[in-house]
Formats: sequence, structure tokens, C-alpha cells
Amino acid sequence: MIGRPGSLPWLVHHDLRLSFLRMRAMFGRRGPLTIAAIVLVALAAIHLLVWPLAAWFVNARADAHSARYYYPLLACAALFVLPWLISQALMSSTRALYSRGDLDLLLASPVSARVVVAARALAVAIEAIASVGIFLFPIANMNALLGGAHWLAIYPAMLASGLIASAIGLTLTVLLFRLMGPRRTRFAAQIVATFIASAFVLGGQIVNVLPEHMRDSIMAAFDNPAPGGLFDPGGPLWLPVRAAMGDGGDLAIWCATAIVAFALVAIGLGPNFMASAVRSAGAAATSAPARSRRDRRFRAGVGVALRMKEWRLLARDPWLASQMLLQVIYTLPISVVIWRSQVGGGSPALAASPFIVVIASQISASLAWLAVSSEDAPEFIATAPVPRARVERGKIEAVFAPLALLLAGPLIGLALIAPVDAALTALIACAAAGSTALLNLWHPMPGKRAQLMRRHSQSKIVGLMEHMMSLCWAVVMVATVLRSPAAILPVFIVAAMLWFNRPRAPRAPAANVAFGAG
Amino acid sequence: MILSPTNPGAETPALELRALRKTFGGSVAVNGLDLGVRAGEFFALLGPNGAGKTTTLRMIAGLLPADSGEISIFGVDARRQSIDAKRITAWLPDEPMLYDKLDPLEYLEFVAGLWGVEPETARARANELLEMLELWKHRHERCEGFSRGMKQKVALAGALIHDPLLLMLDEPLTGLDAAAARLVKDILVERTRAGRSIILTTHILEVAERLADRIGIIHHGRLVAMGTLDELRAAAGGAHSTLEDVFLELTRPTEKAA
Repeated sequence: MIGRPGSLPWLVHHDLRLSFLRMRAMFGRRGPLTIAAIVLVALAAIHLLVWPLAAWFVNARADAHSARYYYPLLACAALFVLPWLISQALMSSTRALYSRGDLDLLLASPVSARVVVAARALAVAIEAIASVGIFLFPIANMNALLGGAHWLAIYPAMLASGLIASAIGLTLTVLLFRLMGPRRTRFAAQIVATFIASAFVLGGQIVNVLPEHMRDSIMAAFDNPAPGGLFDPGGPLWLPVRAAMGDGGDLAIWCATAIVAFALVAIGLGPNFMASAVRSAGAAATSAPARSRRDRRFRAGVGVALRMKEWRLLARDPWLASQMLLQVIYTLPISVVIWRSQVGGGSPALAASPFIVVIASQISASLAWLAVSSEDAPEFIATAPVPRARVERGKIEAVFAPLALLLAGPLIGLALIAPVDAALTALIACAAAGSTALLNLWHPMPGKRAQLMRRHSQSKIVGLMEHMMSLCWAVVMVATVLRSPAAILPVFIVAAMLWFNRPRAPRAPAANVAFGAG
Repeated sequence: MILSPTNPGAETPALELRALRKTFGGSVAVNGLDLGVRAGEFFALLGPNGAGKTTTLRMIAGLLPADSGEISIFGVDARRQSIDAKRITAWLPDEPMLYDKLDPLEYLEFVAGLWGVEPETARARANELLEMLELWKHRHERCEGFSRGMKQKVALAGALIHDPLLLMLDEPLTGLDAAAARLVKDILVERTRAGRSIILTTHILEVAERLADRIGIIHHGRLVAMGTLDELRAAAGGAHSTLEDVFLELTRPTEKAA
């Protein structure tokens, strides 16, 4: 037993146990020894992978050329980690409000709201730390092995960062709730978290994304920093970085700041958070107000019915929109990197076209999964007098319209600069979207809409195929813009993947056929 | 032949099952079931948990392929002409299958589109059903905020919008309060008066006793009794016994051989 039942440690232990069970469920029915072996092998592999980086860090200060990049790299790491932690904390806080889980049970119990919120916030912090710690802690371990134990300070520094991120996430959630009300908060929080997380991606690519003259200016500022300024590693903004590198005084200040901030938020905002939770439950119990109260005529036809249904469900689920926006944002830096790489003379078509194609294939796959696999009423549709092929066709039609809307802007922009490349891009984007949509149609992975980003956990092979197809189409696009005959080869690879994945046996009448109950 | 709702074909049985069989792995769910439902009849299918009621309805609705046997709905071979059979039937499961983000009118528009109901007819029928089921003032509210009873009523409206000749209901009164249950029962009786056929499964024997023209009792996937309440009483050997007595008598667990 960890602590007295109802105490903070007891509740934190309860939350972490649930997280552990969820994580264990990802391994399916494998036994504990197998899971331990998989985890150990994965950890060893990550440690080996980060070895060169650790060696570079340890030797950087001795080498004049490397020393120049030492602090910029640490700054990038901070830009990489802190937004990610805050984004995760914001997402987890809003999820705690709306998904609720056991929140109703806890709210109905005699446990203090402050203790419940503190426990939930601690669990949020630990989960956020774990999401990035899996990469950072091996770096700390290898650095400690090669360069001294002071690198292990990353552990307490990360814990403190997690507490601060959790405090910020909780505060933002309560603020959004007060400013926007229960209905809009979830969407707003998703969008805010998406943009914060995009800083994570852009932070990682910042060296490649920034124009050369800006990079030179930043490096010059690092070489000769103004005392106490933005680029001075001894300045106040660098405190978390110094703490992570093992400066005892700074680590103590960083940890103390984190504990105070966390305690203030948990004590000060605890009742507010719980009040928000109660209001969000009320909001869930009442339906959203209709935008238009005008009674309009019904539309006719199976295709129209299926398309309208899919579009309405998409338009009314802002979480899905934010997740797909995140996919677009994650892909954006790659495009900038290609553009800046000057391959093909820095052609805008070379930068934009693969980006458009990858977005087409990825978003099409997501939409197809939503339409086919996460159908809320598959059995109901199976009882309709409509052949399965017609239903599937209607759903695929529904997928392509929002995709076309999303890509119309970039394609029109490209057409103004390079019309031929724009036409080729549109053609290849259609093929890319069609291929991943077909893959999802032929291999449905039933799940709830909220599982969109975790859908590949059901079939890693389908997920791998999907990403390989995206990659192949991006290569096709690059080769086409460069007018290289090599474009043919990846087309054959995708065709072969589709051929091997084609449905071979007649399918069941319903998408999710379940056994009868009685 | 495709039947239209205005041409019910009173001479043709609404439903005929012959030697219907379904197994799941080694377990026999439905074991050579023979059953007939007349046109315009309210038929209650009773049985203990796991007797095969839901499996039978799911096979009739085209959701589960039968291993063998025949399913005829108003003369249409439902196993071979499933689209034609689906056109004249509706299936209402115990858990309403709705889209949380759609409102009742949008849901009914979707269902009408799937069943190919003319837009004008569908709109008029949707209005009528929403009024009848006391959902009119909620017609623009998304289903996500509805209570279980309201969701069940929206699902029932969806099942009725194409005016099916055969309506299959699996535990339709589960989760409904007394007023909503009464409303649904009245609507179902009205449908049979209008010449439509209903086959209903329920664990609430009082519902079957009061509403059904005939009752079928299945046990271990086989029909063990079928007839009017009086016929069942007679078969069970007690003219004054209740349906509960009859049901318990016919579905009593068999003693294991010593």
C-alpha cells in the first residue's frame, strides 16, 4: 500500500498504475518476461543510438569548432523539450476534464478537491516527462558514463520542468474554460497545444529552417552575447539549461521554482479545476446548440446521404481537425529543409510538391480510417438496402472533398509559379491519396474516432505500409520535378504493395460483425 | 418480386425461417430453427439469455450469414436477395446506433437517403415521427446530449422512416422510463394495425403477454413452443398459468443424467 487511502501518494500511485496498465496493454498478450526483454532491448538500442551525440557533448568544449555549437544545440534542445511538455500537459489536462474517466468517482468521494487535482496534475507531469524522457534520459546516461555524473542532473531538472509544464497546462485549461466556456475550451486547448507542439518540431529543425543570414546572426550573438541577454548562457533565461547540465545552485532554484509553482497552482486552482470539471460534465449532458434552426428540405440519394453524414461528423469534431492540422505542421519543416537544401536549384516546386503529396496521402489515410473503420453505426448501415461496394464508394467520395479543399490553396499557389509542376503534383497527390485510402478500405482497423492518432497500434504493418506509400509518392514527386525516369520505380513499389494487400476473400456483410447476445 | 410498403401482400407470410442454423466455433447458437410470422402480426420471440434470439434477428437483418437454412421475408429470399429483403425491413437493436454529432432530423435524412425514400416523403414522415415520439422540440439538438430513452426513440424513428413491412426489435424497451415505454408500445401496436409485421425479443414477459398476437419461445437455439398465450398455456398444462409460469416451465434447465 502506498500511503493512506485517499492521500496524495495513494492517488498518484493509482493514476500511475492505470498508465502502466494502459502501456502494458499495448504489448498485447505477451508475458511480463517478454515485455521486460522488449523494453530492455529497446532501451539498449536507444542508448547505443545516442552514443555519438553523448560523445560529441563530452568533447565539444575541448574542440574550438564544436564549442561554437555547444550552447546553440542546448538552446535547441530546450526549445524542443519545454513546448512539448507544456503541450502534453495542456492536452492531458483537457482530457482529464472531458474524458473524465474516474473523475466523477473522485468528485463524489470525500477526498479534497485540492488533493485530487494535485494527484491528477502530478500524473500529467510524469506522463509528459515520460513522453520525452525516453529519448533524453538515455542521452543523460551516456553523457554521465562518458563525461561525468553531473549530467544525471537532467533527471531532477526534467522532473521540475514537468511540474512547471503541468502547472502551466492546468492554468491554461482553467483560463480557457473561464474565457471560452466548456464547449469551446476543448477545441481551443487542442489548437493551442497543436501550435505549442509545432514549436517542438520547428525547434528541432530550427537550424535547417532559418535562412542563412539569420543563422549567421544568431551564431554571432552566441559568440559575443550581451551580458544577461537572450544569448548569454549565464543569463536568467538559461537557468533550466544550466540546471539540466548539473549546476547545483541553478538546479536547486529550478526545482524550488517548480515545486512552488506546482503547489500554488494545485492549491489555488484546484477547486476551480474541479468546478470546471463539473461544468464540463453539464456541457456534455446537453447537446450543442444548432447553428441554424431553419427547417430545410431533405436531400435525396445514397451518395449524398453518406457524404453529408461524413462531412457533418468531421466538421463537428474539432479535435479531429486539430489532429490533422498537427500532421500538416509536422510535415512543413521537411518541405523547408528540402527547399533550403538547394537540390534542383532551390525550386519552389521541389519544396512544395513532396509536401503536398505527403499531406495528401497522410490526410487521405486518416479520413479513410475515420470513414471506414471508425463508423459509429456499422451494423445499422449493413442493414440498409445498399450494396457494400456502394457504401464504400460513398465514403471514399466523402474523403476526397475535404482533402481537395485543404490542398487547393497550395496547388493554386504552385500553379501561379510552375503550372506544369502544379498539374503533375495534383495528379500524383490524387494517386497518393487514392493508394492510402484503398489500403485503409481493404484493411479496416475498427476503433473509435478519438483513437485516430493511435489507430496503427492495431496493425503496425498497415501503419508501416501507409508511411512507406507516403515516402514512395514523395520520391516519385521529387523525381518527377527533377524530370528523372527514376520516378517510375517507386510507383511500381506502391503498386506492388497494393497488389499484395488487395482483398482476396469475400468480406463479411457488416464492417464490425459481432456475435449475437441472445 | 420487390414489394412496396403499399403492397404488403397479405397472403404471403411476413417471415419464414426454415432449418436455420448458426454456429460460432464449436458452439451452436441457432439449431435448425423453423419459425413463421404472419403479415400484420405482432410476434414476440422469448428465450433465456444465450438462447439465440439476437443471433436469429441478426441473421434475418442480414448482419450475420447463416450456416444453413432459409430466410424468406414476404417471399423474398433474404439470403440470396439481401438488398431486396433489407428494403422492406428494419432492425432496431437494444443499443441505439446513432451518430452523436448529428441531430435527429439529420439522422433521419441520412437513414431516408440510405433506404432511398423520396426527400419530400421522408421529410414529411420525419416530422410526423418526431412529433409522435415527442422529439420535435429536440429536432435540432445533437444526439450526444440525449438520454438513453431519447436515443432509443430517435433510433425507432429511424427504423420507421421507410415504413418497413417487417420491423425487428431487439429488447426495444431497455432503458426506457414508463412513459416512453408506453409511447413506444402504442406506436408498435399502431404499426400492426396499419398492417405491418413486428417481431420483438424481450425479457419483459408482461410486454409479450399484453402486446403479442403470438409468442415463440426458443431454448438452446431451438423453438420449444409457439402459439397464442392460450395455446402456450394449454401446451404447458395449466389454463390459469401466467406466461412467466409457461416460460419457466419450457425453459427449465434439464437435469443432468446421473
